[in-house]
Amino acid sequence: MLMTADARESSQSAPAQKATRDIYLPPARKTVTGGGAAHISAKEFSIYYGEFEAVKKVSADILSKYVTAIIGPSGCGKSTFLRAINRMNDLIPNCHTTGALLFDGDDVYGKFTDEVLLRKKVGMVFQKPNPFPKSIFDNIAYGPRLHGVNDKKQLSEIVERSLRKAAIWDEVCDRLDKNALGLSGGQQQRLCVARTLAVEPEVLLLDEPTSALDPKATAKIEDLIQELRGSYTIMIVTHNMQQASRVSDSTMFFYEGVLVEHEPTAQLFTNPKDTITEDYITGRFS
Amino acid sequence: MSERPVHELIKELSGVLVQLSDKVLQNFILSLNAIKHQDVESARRIRMVDDEIDRAEVDLEERCLAFLALQQPVARDLRTIVTIMKINDDLERIGDLAVHIIDRMPEISTGMLEMFAFEKMGVHAGAMVKQSIEAYIARDRNLAEEVCALDEEVDVMHRAAFKKVTRLMKTADANVDELIAALSISRYIERMADHATRIAREVIYLVTGEIVRHKGDFYENLLESLEE
Repeated sequence: MLMTADARESSQSAPAQKATRDIYLPPARKTVTGGGAAHISAKEFSIYYGEFEAVKKVSADILSKYVTAIIGPSGCGKSTFLRAINRMNDLIPNCHTTGALLFDGDDVYGKFTDEVLLRKKVGMVFQKPNPFPKSIFDNIAYGPRLHGVNDKKQLSEIVERSLRKAAIWDEVCDRLDKNALGLSGGQQQRLCVARTLAVEPEVLLLDEPTSALDPKATAKIEDLIQELRGSYTIMIVTHNMQQASRVSDSTMFFYEGVLVEHEPTAQLFTNPKDTITEDYITGRFS
Repeated sequence: MSERPVHELIKELSGVLVQLSDKVLQNFILSLNAIKHQDVESARRIRMVDDEIDRAEVDLEERCLAFLALQQPVARDLRTIVTIMKINDDLERIGDLAVHIIDRMPEISTGMLEMFAFEKMGVHAGAMVKQSIEAYIARDRNLAEEVCALDEEVDVMHRAAFKKVTRLMKTADANVDELIAALSISRYIERMADHATRIAREVIYLVTGEIVRHKGDFYENLLESLEE
């Protein structure tokens, strides 16, 4: 639930709908236990920058605990769509939406939605690693402290658990008090994932998380995505189609703001239904 | 929009495959002629050409593997390269069948050969291979499906040869070695038609993305043919 208790009481919104769909399930990958329900649902969802419709009437279900990749040429609306999920676009003047975007059946853009709670549940990692200029420990403890955790033992546990989940604990466990900016780019990015995990989100939004990393660091992030698959609903925007095909279960292809195709990744990359998708992924775009 | 180098390369690999198919088909037809006329010199050339086919098959496979590793194709491009590799394999096997036919040359007389309709069968199977390659070039699903349908006619001819061999074997003066050689030749031609059918099915996959092997009445037909 995204609303505060008071708001929920006064809200007249329709009960949450959880549709279980299996049409986007990957044919060639392991089924995730307890996954597959529509965690995020867009229904005729449009995003406008002023008059300009950047995302056009997108309808799609993002299945819980699976990895969904979003691909498409620059300016196609993929990052705009991703950022809409935890309302990052609210910071952009004149940005507004129509249609519905549901998270666990609740309207993300509803009148009573608690944005802080939403962003706790929907974590985000960006293109460029952006650790705070603080110690490694404080980077991870920042979010839990913000949400009221002050007990030192509890914070230490959260820090270790988060760093372990992000597969970076072994590399930093003996220098938690050192400045996070001293880490390599790849380590910084995994630290950012750990920082996101520290507040126990349900969804991870990754906006081109490896575009600033070398192949080795990229491989580590991709391995990490596979580790986290099954525990979190993951959405990744990427320009690297091989990466989309390697890490994701389903792939959404956006073109000029339209969701052209959303299929199991194995299908989209072997036999896409739409010729625009085919032309894009095979590099035949004019 | 002009073709990108990567797509030019796919065209080039396709071209190599089509050239290989010409060579394979020609060698197969020559093998039937060679055995018909007991032409030892022609048989020697057929073996040499088959060595060339084997080398060309390995070369094409290596080029396709390099393409997969270096270009990481997807969608239509991926299906094309996979299809080229599979057809390449079928063509190499058809090449081997031509050699198998001339291997039977010392075991069978022209008189025995004349008792069977191998020439007609060979022309039919050869036409199937040719048509399946044409379907590949044109990415023509309907033509590919026609090839699949033609396979039954060759199967019928093979079954007729099988029955004839069985009948002749029961006669008092039966030359069993010659009859086994005749049955083998019939089987080689029938297998060539099977490879043509496989190629056609690979073309259907290339065009539609759907794997049609083992679908529909394939198993029923197989069981029927075994019963007969």
